[in-house]
Amino acid sequence: MSPVLELADLSVRYGGNRVLDIGALSLGQGEVVGVVGANGAGKSTLVNAALGWSRGAAKVSGRIALCGRDISRMPVQKRVGEGLCLIPEGKLIFGTMTVEENLAEGEDEPGDGRRTYGVDDVYALFPRLKERRGHLGSQLSGGERQMLGIGRALRLAPLALLLDEPSIGLAPKLVVTVLETVRELCADGLSVLLVEQNVKAAIAVVDRMILLERGRIVLEGPAAEMKDNPRIAEAYLGAQKR
Amino acid sequence: MNHAVNALVILALVVVGYFLPMAFGGGGAVYSAFVLIAIFAVMSYGLDLIVSDLGEVSLGHPVFFAAGAYATGIISVRLGLGPLPTLAASIGVAMLLAGVVGLITLKLREFVFSLVTYAVTVVGLTLAENWSFLGGSDGLTGIPLFQLDLGFAGYKAVTDKDLWPVAYVLLLAVLWLVSAFRRSTLGKAAMTVHLNPRLATMSGIDPQRTRLMVFLVSAPITASAGWLYAYQRAYISADVLSPYFLILMLTAVVIVGRGLLLAPLIGVALILVQEKFLSFGGYVDRIILGTALILTLAFLPGGIAGAFKAGFRYLRGKAASKSDTIEGGATEWR
Amino acid sequence: MNVGQQIINGLVLGHSFALVAIGWTVLLGVARLVNFAHGQMYMLGAFVTWAAIAEFGLPYMLAVPFSMVVGIMVGFLMQQVLLRLTLKQDLVSIMIVTLGFGHVLHGVAALVFGSTGQILDTPFSTKNVYYGDLWFTWQDVAIVMVAVIVFIALKTVLEKSRLGRIARMVAEDPKLALLGGIDVRKVYFGVFAFEGAAVALAGAVIGPRTPILTSMGFDEVIMTFVVVVLGGIGSVWGSYLAGISLGLFTAFFGALVSPAYTTPAAFLVLIAVLVLRPGGLAAKPGGH
Repeated sequence: MSPVLELADLSVRYGGNRVLDIGALSLGQGEVVGVVGANGAGKSTLVNAALGWSRGAAKVSGRIALCGRDISRMPVQKRVGEGLCLIPEGKLIFGTMTVEENLAEGEDEPGDGRRTYGVDDVYALFPRLKERRGHLGSQLSGGERQMLGIGRALRLAPLALLLDEPSIGLAPKLVVTVLETVRELCADGLSVLLVEQNVKAAIAVVDRMILLERGRIVLEGPAAEMKDNPRIAEAYLGAQKR
Repeated sequence: MNHAVNALVILALVVVGYFLPMAFGGGGAVYSAFVLIAIFAVMSYGLDLIVSDLGEVSLGHPVFFAAGAYATGIISVRLGLGPLPTLAASIGVAMLLAGVVGLITLKLREFVFSLVTYAVTVVGLTLAENWSFLGGSDGLTGIPLFQLDLGFAGYKAVTDKDLWPVAYVLLLAVLWLVSAFRRSTLGKAAMTVHLNPRLATMSGIDPQRTRLMVFLVSAPITASAGWLYAYQRAYISADVLSPYFLILMLTAVVIVGRGLLLAPLIGVALILVQEKFLSFGGYVDRIILGTALILTLAFLPGGIAGAFKAGFRYLRGKAASKSDTIEGGATEWR
Repeated sequence: MNVGQQIINGLVLGHSFALVAIGWTVLLGVARLVNFAHGQMYMLGAFVTWAAIAEFGLPYMLAVPFSMVVGIMVGFLMQQVLLRLTLKQDLVSIMIVTLGFGHVLHGVAALVFGSTGQILDTPFSTKNVYYGDLWFTWQDVAIVMVAVIVFIALKTVLEKSRLGRIARMVAEDPKLALLGGIDVRKVYFGVFAFEGAAVALAGAVIGPRTPILTSMGFDEVIMTFVVVVLGGIGSVWGSYLAGISLGLFTAFFGALVSPAYTTPAAFLVLIAVLVLRPGGLAAKPGGH
């Protein structure tokens, strides 16, 4: 069986600068792969490029396959329709719309045996969102926004989830809650590429881990092995120092 | 050495430029076309400073053009004064208006700025059509001939052929002014505010003051075109505020390529040659001009010059296809 | 001065302003676009209606939708040309292109319809209503009704329907809407289609009040701009209220001061607003 997400020779340019160069990266079904690295190592660029999405003007080239199908020529919304969903860093929900409206747009009959999540499924996963269903997105706390972001993505019946820095600005306890929920979702067959600054929190939930430096993969391996790797420790300390 | 060569080349161009109408046969229609090209090019250079250097789109420049034309008309008809006082008045009125418009729009950016300046033009049109001081809908007739009397020598322009030296000198003066502006502190400040507002603030450039100053330089340029236009036409009406002039200016500024010194001149020349010698009637010409503007902006962001450059680069790239150094993003230039 | 009559005039005028502005409000609110060809599209809406009646012999009630279809086609054409600039959000270039469009539309209309003025007569415009010393036509009633219906319909669609929700998503953050699997280009097309249809409808309904000329359209753009700025950019209710206020202002200014200078007067109001509350111009996303 082919991996859920496969990236090959993926490169990204900003203006004339090559900011990302990935030889090969794959994500199996039900797998959580963590992407760590210092600031500016290209972590966000990587997940954005997989979707062909950017807030700037990036130029992406390379092969991107979802469940063996080449999607690299599809526009963003089409890739999302195929089941590749991104929860971006920073602004990840619609502030002028209520929680309920944020969750209203969804894929209910995607076919291909993709698992769907109704609004109630999302509420079951994050009861907090149900309590605040009538509130505007802009009134939510950081943790609630992150939950809503994940909920919004789940409504689109994703095969693979690209999760960019979910822990940013969250209290440590909430980080654990959010990441554990992600882990639970994977038990149901979802695959996740998790970009994390918080190496310690990430290492507890991922199966494999990738270390990025200057847009290249410099280290890759199972979470258990990576835990004691000095370079990871260095990245972890680097993150701590910030 | 290089400077000397440059100066010689420029001098040669200046001389050749002066005799161009003769080279095209020297008929009355040719001189008329050349005079109009010079006038409208001068008009467009005023806008060019705002669009290419400041990076905003002023839709209020027809008002400055009209200010020059009306000031000239009123003063020469009602006070009987000659071209030098009317030129001074044109510049003065334009700077006054530019100061007012500049202050009102000081904090406005992008489309709000453009909309307000557009409103200035429409209001100007309404005033010109209705205000009897400005001649109302009849306009101002009987503007005297262009007649300079310096005491020791005089110059009287009866035909467009006689007006050509004046138009040519005005055009050269404006070209010099624009290139001097681009080399000046103010010109560089405007460019910095346009391309990198953060750097501008860090360098101690006051963006609002810069904008106002550029406005004050730009408006008199366009007004001086109105000044000569009044003499060329011998009468002025609210037509000078019609959208035709606005579209003409905008098209001239963008069609060849923004920020190139000769681009607006060449742009105006292209448009006027079409309208004077290859015309299909007013309405079709209007469609042609509008379409040229649309196509340039929608499909040739660098103008005709940009398209040539891109084509040249493409051909060169094909010849040396082994090298994989692609300059990404280099196609967007200003 | 007959105050009652001026109030009626002002209300009719106000609903006209609001109706002319509505397409622009949505265009600006959802797609962040300005359209200087708006006035010429209004002119075209009036003339196509006139031609449908005078040349093709269509009844007015069919000429109006016909004109709206033409408006939609013009909107589509504009969006096709503007697509690349829209996705780049190159507002300045978009603005100039729409100015060029207005110029072209004027040329085309003058070629097709001639440059002489026409009277757009409808079954309603010739029927007067007298009430005491007050006077209005059934066309005036139609303008008010159409404007109210369009505003209520738009408000309902924006707030209650999936279409409206998607439009609001694109309005707030087109990039994030993409991540929701939404084809933003389709939304932009829809917005341009609405702009084309709404302004053509305005031309068809309001055109009968005055003789129509192919050279008209400039005052409409300025009034629309004033309405949109006064009402708060992208705000539907705001546009409605601003339209009515501007209508009343214009009617009384015309009666008390001078009818020739209403556009400059409205512009002065605009300047006052811009100077007094420049922050009011910050676009409020969502098109509420």
